[in-house]
Amino acid sequence: MQFSRNWLKEFLDLKLDDKKICEQLTMLGLEVDSTEAYFSELTGKDLIIKLDLTPNRGDCFSVLGVARELAALNNLKLKLPRIKKIKNDFKSSMNIKVCPEGPIYKGRSVRNMDLKKDSLALIQERLTLSGLRIINPVVDITNYILLELGQPLHAFDEETLNGNIQVRLAKDKEKITLLDEETIRLSKDCLVIADSREPVALAGIMGGLDSAVTESTNSIFFESAFFHPKAIRGRARRYGFQTDASTRFERGVDYTLQDYALERACELLSKNQDAEYGQVLSSISSRDVPKKNQISFSLSYANKILGTKISKSNAKRIFNSLGFKVNQIGEDLNVVPPPWRFDLSISADLIEELARLEGYDKLPKEPILPKYHKVQSSLENYLRTYFKFKGYNEVINYSFVDSLDEDIFSESSKNLTVENPISQNLSVLRSSLISGLVNNYIYNQNNGEENLKLFEIGKVFLGGKERIKERSIISGLICGESSLPIWSTNDTRFNFYDLKGDLEGLFNSLGMKYKFKNKGPKFLHPGKSSSIYFSGKKIGYIGNVSPVLTAKKNIKEQDLIVFSMEVESLNFKAPAKFTNFSRFPSTSRDIAVLISKEISAQELVDYVKKCSGNNLQSLEIFDLYEGPGIPEGIKSMAISLTWQSKSKTLVDSEVDLIVNKIVNSLSDKFNAKLRS
Amino acid sequence: MNLKALNNKKEELNKKAVDSLNSAKNLEDLSSIYKSFLGKNGELNVLLRTLSSLPEGKRKEAGKSLNALKKELEELYILKTSQLKNFIASKKLEKEQIDVTLPGRKGREGSLHPVSSALISIGSFFENLGFDLEVGPETETDYYNFEALNIPQDHPAKDMHDTFYLNTKELLRTHTSPVQIRAMENKKPPLRIICPGKVYRKDSDLTHTPMFHQVEGLVLEPSASFSQLKGLLNEFLNDFFEKEVNLRFRPSYFPFTEPSAEVDIKWGNKWLEVLGCGMVHPNVLDMAGIDSTKYSGFAFGLGVERLAMLKYNISDLRSFFENDIRFLKQF
Repeated sequence: MQFSRNWLKEFLDLKLDDKKICEQLTMLGLEVDSTEAYFSELTGKDLIIKLDLTPNRGDCFSVLGVARELAALNNLKLKLPRIKKIKNDFKSSMNIKVCPEGPIYKGRSVRNMDLKKDSLALIQERLTLSGLRIINPVVDITNYILLELGQPLHAFDEETLNGNIQVRLAKDKEKITLLDEETIRLSKDCLVIADSREPVALAGIMGGLDSAVTESTNSIFFESAFFHPKAIRGRARRYGFQTDASTRFERGVDYTLQDYALERACELLSKNQDAEYGQVLSSISSRDVPKKNQISFSLSYANKILGTKISKSNAKRIFNSLGFKVNQIGEDLNVVPPPWRFDLSISADLIEELARLEGYDKLPKEPILPKYHKVQSSLENYLRTYFKFKGYNEVINYSFVDSLDEDIFSESSKNLTVENPISQNLSVLRSSLISGLVNNYIYNQNNGEENLKLFEIGKVFLGGKERIKERSIISGLICGESSLPIWSTNDTRFNFYDLKGDLEGLFNSLGMKYKFKNKGPKFLHPGKSSSIYFSGKKIGYIGNVSPVLTAKKNIKEQDLIVFSMEVESLNFKAPAKFTNFSRFPSTSRDIAVLISKEISAQELVDYVKKCSGNNLQSLEIFDLYEGPGIPEGIKSMAISLTWQSKSKTLVDSEVDLIVNKIVNSLSDKFNAKLRS
Repeated sequence: MNLKALNNKKEELNKKAVDSLNSAKNLEDLSSIYKSFLGKNGELNVLLRTLSSLPEGKRKEAGKSLNALKKELEELYILKTSQLKNFIASKKLEKEQIDVTLPGRKGREGSLHPVSSALISIGSFFENLGFDLEVGPETETDYYNFEALNIPQDHPAKDMHDTFYLNTKELLRTHTSPVQIRAMENKKPPLRIICPGKVYRKDSDLTHTPMFHQVEGLVLEPSASFSQLKGLLNEFLNDFFEKEVNLRFRPSYFPFTEPSAEVDIKWGNKWLEVLGCGMVHPNVLDMAGIDSTKYSGFAFGLGVERLAMLKYNISDLRSFFENDIRFLKQF
């Protein structure tokens, strides 16, 4: 809603400066979006005020409505334009019939006009300032009244109308071609204005093309009607548009305004045209006209809710200033809202009116007292902190991805698609965070940064037969040089074990028992990936992105190592329970064995542990070697073992016995040989 | 051996030991000198063992003097050791020097996304006041996203929410308010909750991204009032921006609150909208099965990116989701 300040000032003696006017409007809830200074040839210095109105305030979609608010706030009297009624020149024979959805319909024929003439200069200026196009004197007047009073009017070319006018619901699949030249097919819940043959307008929304008033029109039929918001709401949007009329009707138009608006229109027309006027035709279905019910209002409750001490007389004054009818019944007030307010139906609505006119800024501020509660530690924030200190940068990607990416990185077969996406590359709900991370890599690599450690925590979405499953996931990606360049070291590139080490550190800090085994999903390198298990349950994966895929995505040859885990499967460590440590000295031995490459480190370690007795304290793999000096298909693996007893000092001979047992068992089980 | 011979030997030993100790060049020399004179089989102990060959009456006196010598030599050894250690240390100080201006060995520095940092700071403010954190699904039904929040089908208020619909019956939630509805259904008042999370609106331009983060809060207590809401949000904004902010409450409209307010903060010479809030609409309480004569409630909702932009001086909303490392590593 946009209008000229000089127009507004015709409705009340406003002595405020522009800044104050705008501030008052904003603080009344009619937010001033912007203003623009303007110099009018007709009225002098002016200001264009653009309001950003909330959907509840249909009554403020007019200069009158805005003036009414300022009048209430400043205790001013509202001045409505005085109208000189236009006499009837002839009697028209048309009949009008209304229906429950459109219970008030007033109309008047006007004949012998010349619409090639220009509209009044003031009308032209004000329409232009409000952002409306100048069309012809009749259409311009309907628009002027719409802006001035908030009553949408319509004008038909009378000569195109056949017989009587009827407000009715459309017949199924009935068609109409609207002013914008679009032909639409109506459904039974659309309200239309029809003549004896066919619909001539989509009621309260847009007129028909065939009955449109043009500059060659000689006689018109003015319409000033009330249609129920429920009969208008959503209809225009269904056909993909919205009009100034529908905006007002769907929010509610003052149902006492139709006669006045029609008179005002005719008076303005008489200043431009030397025309002849028929009598005002009227049809009203009284029982279908809205009635404003009394709202029972408890001031003490209102004061409790607002934290205020507003007096009864003050409350009454405020309500009266807004045009409400107020009756006192005992301690409570009975309030009847005025016919232009469609947003007031319960006591809470009146509390807001009270607060609004009192001024939100004048209402007190009170502290809220803290309350003890058990704060749940956030595992997600723990993970964030862990990965931050491991040198990862956190990213946040959109939950929707490109369907091509989803096809590559998806683990589920059924895509969840957005019906109305922003764009094709944001059209599928992600079932994995990896595509986002890989795209982050590509983006940053294009900007010259290819040494990255990234992680993201977010939801993935899995389609199924029933409700969509949402899983909270943590994923990460590393690639490039593993350390920042430093003057004393040679850089090394990230590999699988860098990422695995970070994950193992996490699992240890959470006190979780984990296993890396089997392969990862299909988009990972089958020889360089693994699934991650907690107590037998698969909870994620780790591995290098498959080179087939990096080729497909045109990624420079580069190892991208990624992981993904379900956050719900991770848990905080239970409170620590101290166990006494041994105060006896420990004994260590290193063993290097030659063993088939087929045997995984895990298999070897598990087996060595089994042979090492109860006093084994630790077992570390400290060297792995393949190459010259070692036969093909064989690797050398060196293990360091430490034993310690809780009850005595272990003697060398005991430990040597165990070492012999290990070496012999490894030889039996894996055909492993001690490396000399 | 007679006493005289023993005394001679003693004097000789004394001189030799003192000379050796004095001339020792390093700690290894010192400890071998110690071993040869004062060790278990050192010269002094060997001499002590010859005491038995002395006549009865002389033994005690001779023993005393040998032990006195032993003590003297041990003290000298300790003194020499500490002198030598000091000498070595001072040599180290003289010789050793590193260029302290060379850069240190750094690990890679990680960072939290500014949205996460903001969420953590918002969360801790409210958690300290007794708010429980609630989360809910990002894919929602029409009922929880609209109907239960007093937004009927075809209502003009729905225009405020450009909704993404899915190929299933669901939609992507346009606000985190559905979490409040679920909490009201599942928990008994009194209630203090905050609901952070991602929300989605079909909007993409300079000032809108199709996904952003919200935190909504709800207080449902016998005496929850608008004045408490004002006090709480004022405290919150001061806490979040770590300074006193100038703010104003102005009337607004949300279908799920009445009265409703928008909170603006003064930033430079402009008022910027940062929060929406209000008293929970009685219809919403009724639908969630809350007795609105016993409990009143207030709710608020804020856009995390918008607050983070102000706090961290970020000018382009879209940079939150580009994930440019040059942006990310600054937080």
